Amino acid sequence: MSEVSLRDRAWSPYLAGVVIGLLQIPAFLLIETALGASSSYVTVGGLLASVVDPSVTEIDYVAKHVAATAKNWWQVALVVGVALGAFASMRLSGARRHPVSPIWTRALGTPSAAVRYAVAFAGGFVMLIGARIAGGCTSGHGLSGVSQLAVSSTISVAAMFAGGILVSLLLLRRV
Amino acid sequence: MSIVTAVLIGLAMGAVFGLALEKSRVFEPGMIVGQMQLRNFIMLKVFLTAVATGAVVLAVLHGAGLVTLHVKATVYAANIVGGLLLGGGIALAGACPGTILAQVGVGYRDAVFTLLGGIAGAVAFSYAEPALAPVLLTGGPGKLTFADLAGLPYWVLALALAAALLVALYALEGWRPWRRDLGEDVDGLHTSGGRGTGVPGGHPSPAE
Repeated sequence: MSEVSLRDRAWSPYLAGVVIGLLQIPAFLLIETALGASSSYVTVGGLLASVVDPSVTEIDYVAKHVAATAKNWWQVALVVGVALGAFASMRLSGARRHPVSPIWTRALGTPSAAVRYAVAFAGGFVMLIGARIAGGCTSGHGLSGVSQLAVSSTISVAAMFAGGILVSLLLLRRV
Repeated sequence: MSIVTAVLIGLAMGAVFGLALEKSRVFEPGMIVGQMQLRNFIMLKVFLTAVATGAVVLAVLHGAGLVTLHVKATVYAANIVGGLLLGGGIALAGACPGTILAQVGVGYRDAVFTLLGGIAGAVAFSYAEPALAPVLLTGGPGKLTFADLAGLPYWVLALALAAALLVALYALEGWRPWRRDLGEDVDGLHTSGGRGTGVPGGHPSPAE
């Protein structure tokens, strides 16, 4: 196997998976929580909503997520860091991305950017509603929950793949 | 811990997370949609490797009494309905809540709409939560793990899971070498018409 470098365009999925799994060490030891991402959407969304509707923080669920706790804001920082890390990785490898992935012309059957933007918004909307109903996403339920042998997470992840497979086979074209 | 410290730790951990998502290419819509269409297995490989690694790490940390587990409550209806919606959304978005940010980071314009849709979805759920709580978000055994069910120490079953995943990944790699799933522009798109026959492993290998 060849040498691994930050300038590589692609790493083995196994190396990347080990790196991601090791992130549970600082999460559990320093923040006393598991790796997750979808709660941060409630924190940010709740904060934005409170600008127009201050009464939103009277909902306990929102109050809990926008509270100035280390855990809440650690997760918001985590997802911001993901964007920074991905940007840095792309710059290091010199990979150039299209404004929209070329797979969407195939998957949606049209090159229209407007159609893609609308589907992306709808996808994001449904995704976060689902994640918040289930109580976690691919990270919180998937990575962390399954590692912890949680029954809830195993059910959620099975349902997640079932939903993803169904929608991608029924509503999207073959990529 | 102060919020500032937590935020700095979060940024640093996120940067590593984002780097791994970008380098493995798993953040690409082509990989995520490809996985859901069962044509590309990079997402499953990254995911299961991270789960196995996490299980080993937590078996050690928990076995040594250094950490407590943070298990989410089992609520059957919510886990199933939420999981299905989450998966459907992932297919349409070509992203998960975490990988959206990696897509934004590399400059995918549609990811900004996915992100806005996600924030709107979280806000919509927040408003609906008090009404949903008594109907959908209830009914289940609470925080439950398979170690509880089996009556075994967590670390024993966690190491067993990691071992089983290792075997499964070895078999998966033998069946579908990861380099074949990358695509010419490492975005999961295969332009050489011979791809996507629906036959597992039946596509030609790119010149190496």
